[in-house]
Amino acid sequence: MLLEVRNLHVGYGDAPALWGVSLEVDTGEIVSVIGPNGAGKTTLINAIAGLLRCRQGELRFDGCDMTRVRAHDYCNHGIALVPEGRRLFAKMSVEENLELGCYRAAARPARTRSLEHIYALFPILRDKRRQVAGELSGGQQQMVAIGRALMARPRIVLFDEPSLGLAPAIVDDMFDIIARVRSEGAAVLLVEQNVLKAAGIADRAYVLEQGRIATHGLPADLLQQPHIREAYLGV
Amino acid sequence: MPSATLLGQALISGVLAGGMYGLLAMGLSLSWGLLRLVNLSHFALAFLAAYIVYELGTTWHVAPWWSAALVVPAMFGIGAAQHWLFDRFRVNELASLLITFSVAVILEAGIQLYWTADFRRYETPYSTLSIKAGPFFIPVLELALCLVAGTLAWGTWLWLRRTFVGKALRASAEDADIAAAYGVNHKQLAYLLSGIGAAYAGIAGTFIALIATLAPAEIWTWLGVVFAVVIIGRLGNPLGALLAGMLIGASQSVAMAIFSPAWAPVVSFSILIVVLLWDPEWL
Repeated sequence: MLLEVRNLHVGYGDAPALWGVSLEVDTGEIVSVIGPNGAGKTTLINAIAGLLRCRQGELRFDGCDMTRVRAHDYCNHGIALVPEGRRLFAKMSVEENLELGCYRAAARPARTRSLEHIYALFPILRDKRRQVAGELSGGQQQMVAIGRALMARPRIVLFDEPSLGLAPAIVDDMFDIIARVRSEGAAVLLVEQNVLKAAGIADRAYVLEQGRIATHGLPADLLQQPHIREAYLGV
Repeated sequence: MPSATLLGQALISGVLAGGMYGLLAMGLSLSWGLLRLVNLSHFALAFLAAYIVYELGTTWHVAPWWSAALVVPAMFGIGAAQHWLFDRFRVNELASLLITFSVAVILEAGIQLYWTADFRRYETPYSTLSIKAGPFFIPVLELALCLVAGTLAWGTWLWLRRTFVGKALRASAEDADIAAAYGVNHKQLAYLLSGIGAAYAGIAGTFIALIATLAPAEIWTWLGVVFAVVIIGRLGNPLGALLAGMLIGASQSVAMAIFSPAWAPVVSFSILIVVLLWDPEWL
């Protein structure tokens, strides 16, 4: 198993946000986590990315105990994050943002090759590479955020609400890109509010509610459950 | 209205004096812009370096460049050590201002204890040397200072723009968590940058020893104008700091030639206010 989360507890100050969450992602899989606002989806993904420390429980990546790893070493294990709201380095150029993606020593030698790969994936970014990232449109910023993650040559990419705030046509593009990330060999953990889209692309899905995993299984099966249909699809 | 020659000379002297503003502003600008630490002790460190260069030069007859070769690395160490304290006590932007103010006061007291409050002047054969260019005089030491400041500003700017470490520092200043997620060890880089900032104080101090008259209270004379220079040059931008320094230096000097010396501080802060009114997001 590539990513193993067991009985994970994470909190902010005195307020717990995750209560004993367990999930798994295997190599080559796309796994979705769906759930309402405030369920703890971003907390979960930030904990897996090393941005938040775990209070209790296990976080293993490729067998390695990640709770002992320092935040800036997470990427060296092959974990890359496409954060909620993109969080680009807004004052830096598009290309500099991408280059930060390959900051880690193992990804640096491939800098030129990786950049070419990203520009082939998102040709518009080649034209805008000298532009300040904060000036791009939402969709283009999302491309930079994904490109930055891919520059790290990751083994798993964590997507946090990649469709948030994007026009519907661009949302479809984003999901195509996510499928492509997997076909290039990285596993994907996807947190989404767009339940139909997230279920459509995923091999397996987890439903996170109030900081706990409510249920999990094959997306098609989950979409049949009355509770899920009512809460997330409004039917 | 003074003559064209006098104005031209004022302009040259001003730009050269501005080189010192810029050199002092650089270290301050780097730590404020990239680490969010406002380091008032920067001025005290520069004067500590100046006194050491003075002491080595007058008592031991060590040439100033050899003194600099000793003092600058020592200052790097002091800067890194100071950062250890900031790091240990998780000092934020406002607290750093207060703490480094105290550090500066303590350093001032220490300097006064050892070297007394008397004015000190480090006389060197080249302190009065100047090049004659047409009707104008260009003092050699000030020119050397500007060349050194220019090289440092340009080099530091390139370092921040072109190298992975420089880009990591800028990224970390914008979003430390995300930079860390991509492998940036902010803590380590912060030590490096604090050391570099203090080393710049050491270089500035060497020139202060050669150019200025030393007294412990002189630590505070440049505080106001250098702060204005740091902000006008934009935080974290070494090239901006130097250019702003020269702009302020030239404007002050010309204002002094046309009106009276009392106008000098008015000029620098007027420029600061105009810049901030023109673009409130400048800071």
